[in-house]
Amino acid sequence: METVVQSELKKTPQKTKKKRSVKRLLIYAVLTIFAVVNAYPILWMVINSFKSEKEFQVDQFGWPDTFVLDNYVNAWNTANFGVLFKNSIFVCLAATISTVLIGAIASYFLSRFTFKMNKVVYTFFIFGMLIPIHATLVPMFILIRNLGLLNTPITLIFPYIAFHLPITIFILTSFMKAFPKDIEESAVMDGCGIFRIFWSIILPMSRPALATVIILNFIYNWNEFSFALVLINDPALQTLPLGLASFAGQFTTNYGAQMAGLTMSLIPIVAFYLLLEKEIVKGMTAGAVKG
Amino acid sequence: MHAVGKRRGAIILGLLPALIIYVIFAILPILQSFYYSVMEWDGFSEMTYVGLANFKEIFQDPLFWNSVKNNIFVVLASVFGQVPIALFIALLLNRKLKGLKIFRTIGFLPVVLSTVVISLTWSLIYNSEDGLINGVLRTVGLEGWAQNWLGDTNLAMISVCITVIWQFVGLYLIIFLAALQNIPEEVLEAAKIDGASEWTTTRKIIVPMIWDTVIVAVILCIAGSLKTFDLIYVMTNGGPSHSTEVMALYMFNETFSQLQYGYGSAVSVLIFFFSLILIYLVNKIFGKKMI
Repeated sequence: METVVQSELKKTPQKTKKKRSVKRLLIYAVLTIFAVVNAYPILWMVINSFKSEKEFQVDQFGWPDTFVLDNYVNAWNTANFGVLFKNSIFVCLAATISTVLIGAIASYFLSRFTFKMNKVVYTFFIFGMLIPIHATLVPMFILIRNLGLLNTPITLIFPYIAFHLPITIFILTSFMKAFPKDIEESAVMDGCGIFRIFWSIILPMSRPALATVIILNFIYNWNEFSFALVLINDPALQTLPLGLASFAGQFTTNYGAQMAGLTMSLIPIVAFYLLLEKEIVKGMTAGAVKG
Repeated sequence: MHAVGKRRGAIILGLLPALIIYVIFAILPILQSFYYSVMEWDGFSEMTYVGLANFKEIFQDPLFWNSVKNNIFVVLASVFGQVPIALFIALLLNRKLKGLKIFRTIGFLPVVLSTVVISLTWSLIYNSEDGLINGVLRTVGLEGWAQNWLGDTNLAMISVCITVIWQFVGLYLIIFLAALQNIPEEVLEAAKIDGASEWTTTRKIIVPMIWDTVIVAVILCIAGSLKTFDLIYVMTNGGPSHSTEVMALYMFNETFSQLQYGYGSAVSVLIFFFSLILIYLVNKIFGKKMI
């Protein structure tokens, strides 16, 4: 009897260990499949962008024999990538900086001051998160046309600011509200004005939340397509997503050039992502859950 | 929150820039949608008031109902595709594993990419001649299974939905992971001491504890997929023969290709109400937690 129990005791840890390692292997297998499904479509495109048309047709799975850069030259010239990058960077930076700056000032007053309309104004801003962008495409086009802003370098900046202010204000106010109440009091004692307090105390203290909204705005603006589609039709003013879409539409059979174009447009945002991954994930989850 | 003297001037000055841009470029357009929706207008000549005629016409258009049906299909595919996959992978990732960070990084990558880039990449993957999927099928000897994935009315919607699922699984994965990491260690230890197997712990403790997050994810997923536009616009533009046309796309085509600004605005108003009803349901279920 005793020996039986003992041998059982001896067996069990080994058994569970084995079981555990099998389970671990299974988990890794599933995760690897998930990672491959997630990454391979993009890798496939990047790898094939370096192949000649001929090589791509013969073998689309292996590494390229020699890394051909023709597709890149081709895409860069026909799609005017230089212009697209320049436009995207300008629109994206201008809209992001304006949104965060304007939003931060508004958030400061909404979070640190009591005044009659405070709650109403705040709710009014937050309501913007409920407006579906597509429901405004028609009137936005007419409005921008009537303002004489159609097809100008700054056209897109206004709708981008307007539609991203709500989430920006939402995140910044909830962050600024949490500061202790006596911050301004001591500053006022030292003779600081309201805007001075904002610039030298509140803004530096909000750095983590500012990082979040800057990143969120940057990604949204960089990837935005619908407004650009409706409001911009001058090729010289197109942003990257818009330029890519029309480029692909024109070169439906030139796969190599398409892949090269897509790869080029991927580089900045992927680099941005890998560099700031932690912050981006935090920001996107905050944006998603609260937006 | 407290008053640093009642500096009304400063408050107004601080809120004004945000308010002006927000009102002109977000609030005004949505109000104008309502106004245009009762008009017959080609965008250039005189408007004529037609009452609810546009709405009546929309409801009688089988293409509109087709787009509603397709939209519901996208919603269902997203909810039943994205959420379960994301939850499953998150549960697998929620343990001390080597290489966990790599899986997380790759898992979230598609979320930050531009929808246009994703659409174009997947269009190449689905390509009937040289696409990745048909290439794989040919390589493994299933030549007969090769299809025109985006060109077949029966398959196009499913193909599009696979891409939609692929794009956003990472977002919900990260949301779930964050929720899982918030479960206090002691709860899980207590379960372990009580001899609960991992499966039981997952089913009876972990999943119920993050159930709120799961529901939030479901709602986000519904709201997000109601807004699907860019992806389908670039991949199929609603075709072949309207088989992938969703509401936003129907609105866009009616307005900008047929120059029916009144009619398109009426569709916009319907989209807006669809979204509002959803938000109402969200608030009903979660109290004021979401907004």
